[in-house]
Amino acid sequence: MKERFNLILSGVGGQGLITLGRLIGRACILAGRNVTIAEVHGMSQRGGSVVVHVRIGEGESPIIPSGAAHHIIAMEILEAGRTARYANKDTVMVVNDLILPPPLVKYPSREVVVESLRSKIGKFYLYNAEEVSKEITGSPISSNIALLGFSLSVNPLFEELIKKADIERAIEDMFKGKSAELNKEILHRSYEAGRSRLGG
Amino acid sequence: MHPVLARKGETVLLMGNEAIARGALEAGICLAAAYPGTPSTEIVETLAEVAQYTKTYVEWSVNEKVAFETAYAAAISGVRSLTAMKHVGLNVAADILMSSAYAGVKAGFVIISADDPGHHSSQNEQDNRWYGFISHIPVIEPSSAREAYFYVKEAFKLSERYGHPVILRSTTRISHTRQPILLEEDIPIEKACKGSFERVIERWVLVPGHARKLKSKLMEIWRKIQMETSEPFVKIINPGMKTVVIASGIAYSHVSEVLNLTGLDDKITVVKVNMPVPLPRKPIEEVLSTAEKVLVVEELDPIVEDQVKRISLEIGSTSKIFGKEYVPLNDELSVQAVYDAICKFLGSCSPQRWESIGDIKTDPPIPPRPPVLCPGCPHRSSYYILKTSLNRAGFRNVIYTGDIGCYTLGYQKPFETQMTSFEMGGAIGIGHGLSKVVDELVIAIVGDSTFYHAGIPGVVNLVFNKGRAIPVVLDNSVTAMTGHQPHPGSGYTATGEATAKILPEDVLKAVGFETYVINPLRVKESVATLQKALEEFKKGKNIAIVSRARCALEVMRDARRSRVVLPVYRVDPEKCTACQACVNLAACPALVVDPNTRKPVIVEDLCAGCGLCASICPYKAIQVSNTPSSEWEKLW
Ligand code: SF4
Ligand code: SF4
Repeated sequence: MKERFNLILSGVGGQGLITLGRLIGRACILAGRNVTIAEVHGMSQRGGSVVVHVRIGEGESPIIPSGAAHHIIAMEILEAGRTARYANKDTVMVVNDLILPPPLVKYPSREVVVESLRSKIGKFYLYNAEEVSKEITGSPISSNIALLGFSLSVNPLFEELIKKADIERAIEDMFKGKSAELNKEILHRSYEAGRSRLGG
Repeated sequence: MHPVLARKGETVLLMGNEAIARGALEAGICLAAAYPGTPSTEIVETLAEVAQYTKTYVEWSVNEKVAFETAYAAAISGVRSLTAMKHVGLNVAADILMSSAYAGVKAGFVIISADDPGHHSSQNEQDNRWYGFISHIPVIEPSSAREAYFYVKEAFKLSERYGHPVILRSTTRISHTRQPILLEEDIPIEKACKGSFERVIERWVLVPGHARKLKSKLMEIWRKIQMETSEPFVKIINPGMKTVVIASGIAYSHVSEVLNLTGLDDKITVVKVNMPVPLPRKPIEEVLSTAEKVLVVEELDPIVEDQVKRISLEIGSTSKIFGKEYVPLNDELSVQAVYDAICKFLGSCSPQRWESIGDIKTDPPIPPRPPVLCPGCPHRSSYYILKTSLNRAGFRNVIYTGDIGCYTLGYQKPFETQMTSFEMGGAIGIGHGLSKVVDELVIAIVGDSTFYHAGIPGVVNLVFNKGRAIPVVLDNSVTAMTGHQPHPGSGYTATGEATAKILPEDVLKAVGFETYVINPLRVKESVATLQKALEEFKKGKNIAIVSRARCALEVMRDARRSRVVLPVYRVDPEKCTACQACVNLAACPALVVDPNTRKPVIVEDLCAGCGLCASICPYKAIQVSNTPSSEWEKLW
């Protein structure tokens, strides 16, 4: 068994992580890949930390060991900091440029967390996914797809497993009519943004 | 179309719970009943969604015991059925579980116990495989979501072969993992949905004389299951080696990955166990006859390990058997934990395989993010109203007993209105007991769904035995925490049919409480009502409170669908004095404090328009910033 591709999705409950996991899962089926997607979240509906473990390739065990992630998508900056332990020196990390502090607590600033991650993770990208989502759909609701599009273009190992076209088809399967079109546009724009960030 | 309805030969992405639902449908069930509880909920939720197409009767019962009874009744009259619950739910249904093993079934009957190793959403992590021993009901344990689909069908076959109930034990990591599943069969169009009840009194009536005979028969079945079962419940991979790893359920998936990664797979015999209780005897004997050392890997308690040791003793094997020396007794297993265990067992490989960059250090550190009440959650307002009115009525050091639901989050600051939380309905019984022994006022807070589930006997007892606790029902007319399943106060059933609406205040009134119903969106008015109610309580009356407003998530969803514009609030920085009262008293996640000005800002995308912060602000700095639809309040 080759080692599976380990992808961590993290963020705050309600940000669309579960949907993102399902979308990647659907794309994996279309790409003919085996996958396990484990949702790790706490008790309530919203507001807690959520981590989704996506493992692409043969194997059944659902949880990614600390240090074994090939790629991390974080939908919020503090949660990105929290998932650092899944990263090793080769991990690619894509973080939504958004900070949502939990109520009534002290928290480090955006700059402090970002700097600390940047210094430890070789391939670290901050991306303003809300901006793209809001521009195209009028709401931040599709930030998850924007982060996926961006991730795919900045991580060749990831793109080797699923192609942008697989994700487009998965979007068509999971969303209807206009919403499918808008999401595909977000995917495309964010993918291009990743390309230009790579400088290619 | 729901993926669970896909045709044979298709590969669909299903979560473990959906896979169980699909497997059960293929097995031909015609009835399913459950009470929602994480991680089991999506099993019956899925069945309810497709009930119309699969012609299956599906219900959300008021608790697990009733759900079990409903499903069991079908099975004893020849209709295949399923009941599902979280591990602690099986405690509620334990009574009928025991009896069902005595009387057996006429058609396949599977009880799904979704356990929660790691306490992701539960008060404990009990290992429900023990229930198999107490009740003498076999326990099937799949190793993955994909296998859950396969083994639920095997469970039905086993159940029919022996006319006996079967427990399928899933765990959070199986229930909530999605995998592509290649569908092996179609859902049958024709199935037995009409039962017939045979009046065999000595079977269904467990008086001692009948039960004694049934127990002997039960022991016979139990022995047979032990002796006659092997594949697919136990599989021996790479037989004949001196070193053996036995792994049950999900532990097998971790073991298989570790052996692959370390290249040890051809040097070790692996025994994959999918029926940990009772452990099929013959394959284990076979392995023990040549093994030198054995490691048993399983999550939580040493259930397989103890049986292996016992079989080894009985056949006089000299193999050395290890288990919990190396494998943790608590928490979930993982590739990492199993990797460490196998390394120690073999005394070889080095324990650090994956090199993490470690946690990052920041100042201040990244704060934990426990789940919080959603923006706009009516419980937030209810708690604020309760505390304010109790304070005004002169009650100090109030004790709040609590229960299970979203509102349990009220244990957090600033509310601290949940000081106990043991089990469903516990708020009321504990509240009653405390009221007998303490001087402070006791407020027993229970959600609507929990009230129907196990709160009603408690309120009857409270009045009957003259307890002085005040029951408060936080009523959002739905089982919100598990994803909005209907209950007797919702007015509709699992499959969306309109039905009677049984209101908590009517039950409370019938039991003997003077009941006050408030709307938590109207803060001032509610405080006034409660002050009046508390005066009555001081005079010796039994009072109860129902605080009613819908779950904010449902309101926001309905607003989106019907294009009703809800109010959105904004802090006027001119008027705001940065006093922090709104933040400290409401603790709403939509209120974010600007680190420079210390003035709060409302995140517009999160605000649900409940208006609690506005009613708290002493400077009237928080106001509606848009033009809401005139009928917006009706949605709550
Ligand atoms: S899901 Fe509904 S009831 Fe639960 S915390 Fe959120 S708004 Fe409140
Ligand atoms: S309560 Fe009013 S004045 Fe005080 S911080 Fe909040 S908005 Fe500003």
